[in-house]
Amino acid sequence: MQRRISRREMLRETAVGVGALLGTSLLPKMAQAADKPVVQTAGGPKRVIFFLQNHGFDPLTCIPKDLNRESCALDGLPLEKPMQALEPYKNRMHIITGLHGRHTNPGHSAYFGALGAYRGGTGVPPSAATIDYVLSRSLPQTILPPLCIGMESLDSMRARPTLATLSASGPNQPIFMHCDPNMLYQMLFGSIAEGAVKQHYEARSNVMLEVERVAQLKTKGLPPSEGERYARYVTGFRDINGLNEKLSGISAQLKKFAPKLDDRYSNPKFETDWHDALLEIGIAALQANLTNVLTIASGCGEYFGSWKGLGISDSGHGLGHIDQPGNLIWTKIRHYNCEMLIKLMKALEATPEGTGSMMDNTLIVYSSNNAEKQHSEGATWPFVLLGNGGGRFKTGQYTNIKERPINDLYTTFLHGVGTPVDRFNIDKTLANINHSKLGPIEELLA
Amino acid sequence: MQISRLIYCVALLTFSALAHAAQAGASNVGAADFQKTARPFFAKYCMDCHDDETKKGDVSLEGLADVSADNASMWKRVWEQVALKEMPPRKKANQPKLMERLELSNWITDGMTRAMKDKGGFSEHLRPSKANHLDHDLLFGAAFKGLEPSSTPARIWRIHPQEQLVRLNDLISLKRKYDPERPGLWTHGDQIPSNLEGETKVYFGLDGYLGSFNDAYNFGVGGFQSNLSLVRDHGLRNYPFLYSVNSSEALQIAGTAEKVLRFMAYGPAAEPYQFADDINKIPGQYRNLNIIFYKKGIYRPLTPVYDLMNTPGVSDERLKTVINFLFESLTLRPPSKAETATYLDIASKSIKELGKEDGVFVGLLPIFLDRDALFRPELCENGKPDKYGRVMLQGQELVLAINAAFSYIRPKNDHLWTALSEGKLKTREDVKREVARILSDENIRKPRVLQFFREYFDYDRAPGICKDRKTLERDGGHFDTIYASMNSMVANTDGLIELILRDDKNVLQEILTTDRVIYQPYTSGANFRDGILFKTDIAYFMNRGKRFVEFKKYEAIAPTKDNKLVIERAQREVYDQNMLHHIFPNPAQPIYVRQSPFDQGRFPPAINALKAITTVDTRERLGILTHPVWLVAHSDAMDNHAISRGRWIRERLLGDAVPDIPITVDAKLPDEPRSTMRQRMRVTRAPECWRCHQKMDPLGLPFEKYNQLGILLDTNPSNNWGHPVDTTGEIILSGDPALDGPVKDPAEMIRKLAASERVNQVFVRHAFRFWMGRNETINDAPILQDAYQAYRDNNGSMKALLTSLLTSDAFLYRKVKPEVPTSSTAKK
Repeated sequence: MQRRISRREMLRETAVGVGALLGTSLLPKMAQAADKPVVQTAGGPKRVIFFLQNHGFDPLTCIPKDLNRESCALDGLPLEKPMQALEPYKNRMHIITGLHGRHTNPGHSAYFGALGAYRGGTGVPPSAATIDYVLSRSLPQTILPPLCIGMESLDSMRARPTLATLSASGPNQPIFMHCDPNMLYQMLFGSIAEGAVKQHYEARSNVMLEVERVAQLKTKGLPPSEGERYARYVTGFRDINGLNEKLSGISAQLKKFAPKLDDRYSNPKFETDWHDALLEIGIAALQANLTNVLTIASGCGEYFGSWKGLGISDSGHGLGHIDQPGNLIWTKIRHYNCEMLIKLMKALEATPEGTGSMMDNTLIVYSSNNAEKQHSEGATWPFVLLGNGGGRFKTGQYTNIKERPINDLYTTFLHGVGTPVDRFNIDKTLANINHSKLGPIEELLA
Repeated sequence: MQISRLIYCVALLTFSALAHAAQAGASNVGAADFQKTARPFFAKYCMDCHDDETKKGDVSLEGLADVSADNASMWKRVWEQVALKEMPPRKKANQPKLMERLELSNWITDGMTRAMKDKGGFSEHLRPSKANHLDHDLLFGAAFKGLEPSSTPARIWRIHPQEQLVRLNDLISLKRKYDPERPGLWTHGDQIPSNLEGETKVYFGLDGYLGSFNDAYNFGVGGFQSNLSLVRDHGLRNYPFLYSVNSSEALQIAGTAEKVLRFMAYGPAAEPYQFADDINKIPGQYRNLNIIFYKKGIYRPLTPVYDLMNTPGVSDERLKTVINFLFESLTLRPPSKAETATYLDIASKSIKELGKEDGVFVGLLPIFLDRDALFRPELCENGKPDKYGRVMLQGQELVLAINAAFSYIRPKNDHLWTALSEGKLKTREDVKREVARILSDENIRKPRVLQFFREYFDYDRAPGICKDRKTLERDGGHFDTIYASMNSMVANTDGLIELILRDDKNVLQEILTTDRVIYQPYTSGANFRDGILFKTDIAYFMNRGKRFVEFKKYEAIAPTKDNKLVIERAQREVYDQNMLHHIFPNPAQPIYVRQSPFDQGRFPPAINALKAITTVDTRERLGILTHPVWLVAHSDAMDNHAISRGRWIRERLLGDAVPDIPITVDAKLPDEPRSTMRQRMRVTRAPECWRCHQKMDPLGLPFEKYNQLGILLDTNPSNNWGHPVDTTGEIILSGDPALDGPVKDPAEMIRKLAASERVNQVFVRHAFRFWMGRNETINDAPILQDAYQAYRDNNGSMKALLTSLLTSDAFLYRKVKPEVPTSSTAKK
């Protein structure tokens, strides 16, 4: 008997239970970010995209065949089958192995530890801002920094249209990812709809303003500590309503790039219809300059997942128990990932920016939220970079970095965007234990 | 308790301003500064080993300044070491008094709270996992005099996810009456049970379900989970300070609300052909669709929402009726006139914009998002504070607090509201009367009481333990059904605990030592060819060392060309019965437990599951700690987890704790497949580890009698890579010398613990935390002592314990002015 091992209820608890105070906004510090002076990144990327596949990323599925050197150019080296779709993009690619995340406590997922590069794991709240958020503050500012989307089974995406597992704007401040394309579409593009849809959007927006007003009124009489906790509830509505207002001011931009609503949204045949729709919304949000960082979580940063649309009947947790190298299921999943990455790159290439295209100023980071496999100890954590990020990152390379933590890669990103730091989310003691070095990984920077 | 009483004689003399500072939520900032509090303590007890010269363990306190964000991690370590009596080392003669330890602890946690305010905050000391940092002997020693009377800070308490589900379910499902003949059945007001996948969901149209032909669960059944979050740790999970409602949750609530309202108005979102009288008469063209079919007619509560949407027009009066109904259903109290007017205004505007059809559904959403639908207020805004700044709960807040101690919904014909309206709910005696009434009425379901036991024992965490397939199958588990089995066993354990609660005698002791077991005797639609019977929870009660005795013989059926399957099935059935008898030889009785309406999506929905209750050999299993569900809840992906089990006993039964593991420690056992857990745990004997591990490992190792799945191990060494099964352990540093000493197996340890006064006191401490929603403080000592006395004097009655707790100052009084200085703080 085949059985789905989803245990969704448990994970729903996990997903949202990780934030210690669990009252953070769907739209973290949007206002502050928008008010913050733009940090100019001379020649650096204007946007960064993270794509994290769950269940780990086995290095044997990405290290080119016949490779016997620690670092070399990729030219002439055929990519492994799961990554073969990216063969035409090899000259824009940088495969990085040898980093580790032992201190992130991966197991099933390092959760916030994957992008935070600190101790994560089941039920552990974020202890600091994650790299996607930190980068979004450094890049040229947009309305929504960052936008996170999560892909799971249909059932799960319907049951949990938003959840927080990977990104955070600070200690105990998880950032929610969006899993229901209809809700996300309504949120970002509802204001440009026509007819009854627009009418409904506006009526609902008005009602949400009333909810904020009533919620605010009931702040009265609360003791200070309780008022602070309750304020998170009120602030959430304020952010939602504030976003609506901001979006209504850029309707021309939204109209230009809004994806076309079709049957995949309202009547998906498989979960992959929604995955594709979410990706399209993510691309549109980049093109319309709504966000400067897009974080894509295939598997929602947890340890389930479903790809029935690819003809994969197995789903959920059991997928993680399969060894990835040479496995047909995992080859299909990686291939699907690569197609998504190509779709992203093509869309950004087709969108002019300055004297070139948006892709010229983009860095894509493909990896996992759980090092190399399920039940991982974080010993090795491969990354694939795509794009040179405005000329700041080397491409066409394979680099094997010996025993440095993923923190050092994230430090490198911050150097790449023009906001150099010595270390990212690691103190001196842990740095010594984990062989972290000061500054960026020079081999990765152009 | 002679020792602790002696300590207390001294303690009373030194009792000081900290009595007030210790009050939950109160802060005595500045009452004692670094020079007055920490420095003298360090000089007296620490500097011999931890100055710049000695620097033992590479820790020097000499340069440690007042608490700041920069040195917070060091102060946190100091706090835990001092509070848990880890430092100074036990062998040192010069030990601080308990009150000195408490004073420094409170000073540190106050300082940490201040220092980390804008840096992520510090609230660890308020978390349930740190409640035992307040020494047990301080609470249960001699009675204190001059203590400021207890109270709990005024607050709002976000509702439990179950509470949200039960209330919403009430809007869309028919009420099921309590059946005293079958008390385990899912009844109106019970928690929403999870299904075998662990999914806790409310379904639309369950009452009118007619049937389906395919995998309807996955495609055809509409429903929703709770939109509210809950931490997924072991232990108590629902302190108010932990939760708000974030905007993601709020948007989801709005989405769920719209679905609920539409269902209330129109029933299942289904096509006309999905309604029928007889499933067998469904036309063939509809049978291959992944849909479910509903009975014709209305099978849902007929509410004012139904009335409004199924009759033409709309008026303010009719809208008001709907608003008042929804408000009361969601907040459990009637709205004020102003509240009704507010929501009438919102709904009217929405109807004006969108028309009645959509306008009603959008316009009523805000009621689901009202503060009081998501947070229960305990604010005491109108009372006059006493000299300690406390006000007793009154009026609606008192009604809701009493109700919420037991229930997630407002019971029908609720006497609490009657008592309030008649002016008979003002005093402690009034509360006592109402609590006694509720406790004696089985018709009033009390899911909160069951939730306490889930969180206290953690058995509902078992399905959340991911198991590695290879080791699972090696150890006798079934990978494709393990989680279903664990979810089934959670429901069974709920049933067992409710059974014990109905007897209400020596409740803790009985749970710890019962010989009763509830199990799933069959799986509906069982495929005997797959041997599915032994892929249920029965498999995990196996005793691998027991000799197999044939109970029933197979009566041979003459083979024919057509009866191969019949023979196979008969043989399988005999084998299954023999195995069942082998595992559970004693007679069994049927018993209902609440289980999900849908089992794995394949079987017709059943409201409840019919299980069996039997008794087991107490040499094999004794009480819940030896049941697979508890053992699995305290295991890991690959193996047993003696540390987790030992830690549970240390914390939940002995009232002690161990400090957090330092972040620099690589806490892993060696990977040696042919070594026993005990052998692999030699690494915890390293001196720097053993200081903490001695408090856990010897308590957890007796459970090596079972494997990671709860299966009783074969004692024959040849079946364990040549190692005998070693079930010995030791209780040490329990705080009760009578308890300390070696034990030969888990049964001996459990019996000792279950009979211990200290263990029962610790149980009372946990009940206090659960029902007060906060950690106990020194000011709560008299309440805890009274509650324990009530429990003990009434033969371990949970009812007596609850009555005592729910009539205590901690439950009834809210501190509305935390800054009010108290006489007790000045007097000492």
